[in-house]
Amino acid sequence: MSDVADPGDGKTFELLVKIDMGVDTFASNWAYCDRLSSYMARMVSHNRTDSLLYSNLFSSALNELLETVFRRHRPGGKFTCSISRRQRRDRIELTIPCDAGDKHFYQAAIERLSRPDAADHYRSALFADGPIDLDVGLFELALDYNAVLSVDASDNGSIRLVADLALEDSRV
Amino acid sequence: MAGTAQSTFSVRFDENNQEFSIAGSMRPQKAEDLDGCARLFEQSLQKVRGTLYVNVKRLVRLNNIAFRVLAGLMVRACGERHDLRISVITSSVIGWSTRKFGALPNVNPNINVAEYDSEFYPGQSFLEEGEFIPILRTQTKMTWRHEREILPRHGMMPGLAIADICCGIGDFAVLAFKEFKPARIVALDHSRSSLAYARRVAEEFGIQGIEYIYGDASEMLLEDDQFDFVTCRHSLQIFNKPERILRELFRICKPGGRVYVTNEKISHCLGEPLGQSIQWTYNELSSLFAHFGMDLEFGPKSPRALAKAGFEDIRVETFMVTNTDGDPLDFAAMIRSWEELFAGRMSQTRGDEADFVARFRQGFQDHISAALQLGGYAGWPVWVASGRKPA
Repeated sequence: MSDVADPGDGKTFELLVKIDMGVDTFASNWAYCDRLSSYMARMVSHNRTDSLLYSNLFSSALNELLETVFRRHRPGGKFTCSISRRQRRDRIELTIPCDAGDKHFYQAAIERLSRPDAADHYRSALFADGPIDLDVGLFELALDYNAVLSVDASDNGSIRLVADLALEDSRV
Repeated sequence: MAGTAQSTFSVRFDENNQEFSIAGSMRPQKAEDLDGCARLFEQSLQKVRGTLYVNVKRLVRLNNIAFRVLAGLMVRACGERHDLRISVITSSVIGWSTRKFGALPNVNPNINVAEYDSEFYPGQSFLEEGEFIPILRTQTKMTWRHEREILPRHGMMPGLAIADICCGIGDFAVLAFKEFKPARIVALDHSRSSLAYARRVAEEFGIQGIEYIYGDASEMLLEDDQFDFVTCRHSLQIFNKPERILRELFRICKPGGRVYVTNEKISHCLGEPLGQSIQWTYNELSSLFAHFGMDLEFGPKSPRALAKAGFEDIRVETFMVTNTDGDPLDFAAMIRSWEELFAGRMSQTRGDEADFVARFRQGFQDHISAALQLGGYAGWPVWVASGRKPA
C-alpha cells in the first residue's frame, strides 16, 4: 500500500490496486480491456455499499478508458493502471505512452469536456454514422458517470490520465 | 421461432412475445463483430407487427461500439417503418442501462424505454413496503429458534460461501453470519428500503462481511456455481413464477452445494379455542394472496418444485412456530401485524365488503386471543425443503 497525493486539496488517496505492463502487450488483445476492467472492478468493489452494482458501474467506466487507451497510444513503453480510494471517491490513474499527436488528442478531449456543447457532442457521437469518435468514452465518463477527468504530460513520453469517480453517490 | 447467436453475449428472438433479448457482455472491438446480432434483429423485425420489445435486462456490459450498433438498428427500423414501436426494457439492477438507452426516445419518439421493476411480480409490492419490516423482524426471531437447529441437517456448516436470496431486511443473514461463521455471505433483495434497513442494522451492530446486494431474484447478476449453500426463505410463495427463482438458485449454487427454501401453507395456521373462526380467516387469507398472484400454500409443494428444478437428495421437514416456544407476546405481535396489512390494505385493494373484512379481522384477533390466554394454543406451520445440485 502507498499513498497518492491529490494535487487538488492535499489529501491523499490510498492505493488499492495497480497493474503495469508493456503497452504493446496490452494493445495486442482487445479482450484485455474487458478482462482488466472486470478484474479490477471486482477487486475494489467488495466493500462498497452494493458490491455487485458498484462493480458493474466501475467496470463500465474503466472499460471505456481502457478502450480509449487501446486505440490512442504510441508503441513501446510501459502502461500502468492504478486505482486508489479516498472515502467515497475512487481514482483511476492511467500512465499512457504517447507521442505528440496522442497527447494533443487527450488534452483536447479533456478541454472539450468543459465546453457548453459537451453533451451535444456526446449525443451526436453516439448516434452518428461512420467510425466512432475515439473520445466518446471520455465524454461518457464525464457526462454519464460524473467523473472528473484531468490529464498531464510527463517528460518521458507519457501522459497521466486521471478520472475521479464518486459512484457511491450517484445512480448512473 | 427462436434464433440464437453465441459469444460473450447471447441474442434471442421470441416471436410469440415479439421480444428481442440480449444478455451477457457485449464489448466488441468493431461494429462488424455484431453482424450476427444485427442479422437476427433484421430477420426478427420482419415478423413483428406493432411493438417490438427489446429486452436488455440481463445485458450486463455494453461498450459504445455496441451501443451505436444497437441504437442504429432501432432508430433505422423506426425510421423505415412508421407503424413500428420499439419498447426497450432495462433493469434498475444494472445501473447504467436506463440512462444509456434513455437517449433513444429523443432520437425517435417511436422508441420508449421502460425500467423493469416490481410491477412484473403482481402483489409483491405489498410486501416490499417499509411497513412490513416489523412483521419480518418478528417472524425471523421466531423461526430462528427452530432453524438454527434445522439448518445443519440441510448442509449448513461453518466456512461455506452462502447466498441469502430475497433476504428482506437481512436479519436472517446476520443470524446465520453469527451462528455459522461463513467464509462469504451475500444477501440479495429487490427492495431498496429493506436493503437500506439491513445495511443500517449491520452497521449499528458492527457487523462487517455481509454483502447486501440489490437484485432481482429471477434474473440475478451473480455468476454461476458460486455458493455452497443458497437460502431463499418465505419468498417462492410470493412470486407468481417460483420456477424462475428456483432456476436461478440452481444456477448460482455450486455443483454439490445445497439450496434451502422455507415456505408456508397458510391455511394450516391453527389455534384453540375459537378454532373455526381462525381456520376460516386463514383459508380466506390464502385466497386473498392467490388473488394477487401469490401462493401461500406453496410449502408442501416445494419438494416437488425442487425436484423439477433438477435438485437431488431432497430433504423435507416442517416445524410449527407457536405461542409456547417463545414469548407469546411475540406471536401475538406477528398476528397483529398480519391483520393490519392483510385485512387492511390488501383486503381494501381487492375491494372487500365491510362485513367480510370484519369477519376476516375477527379470525386474526381470535388467533391472538388463543396465543395469549392461559391454556390457549396458536400455531404457524413452516415447511423446510432443501436439495443438492448434482455434482
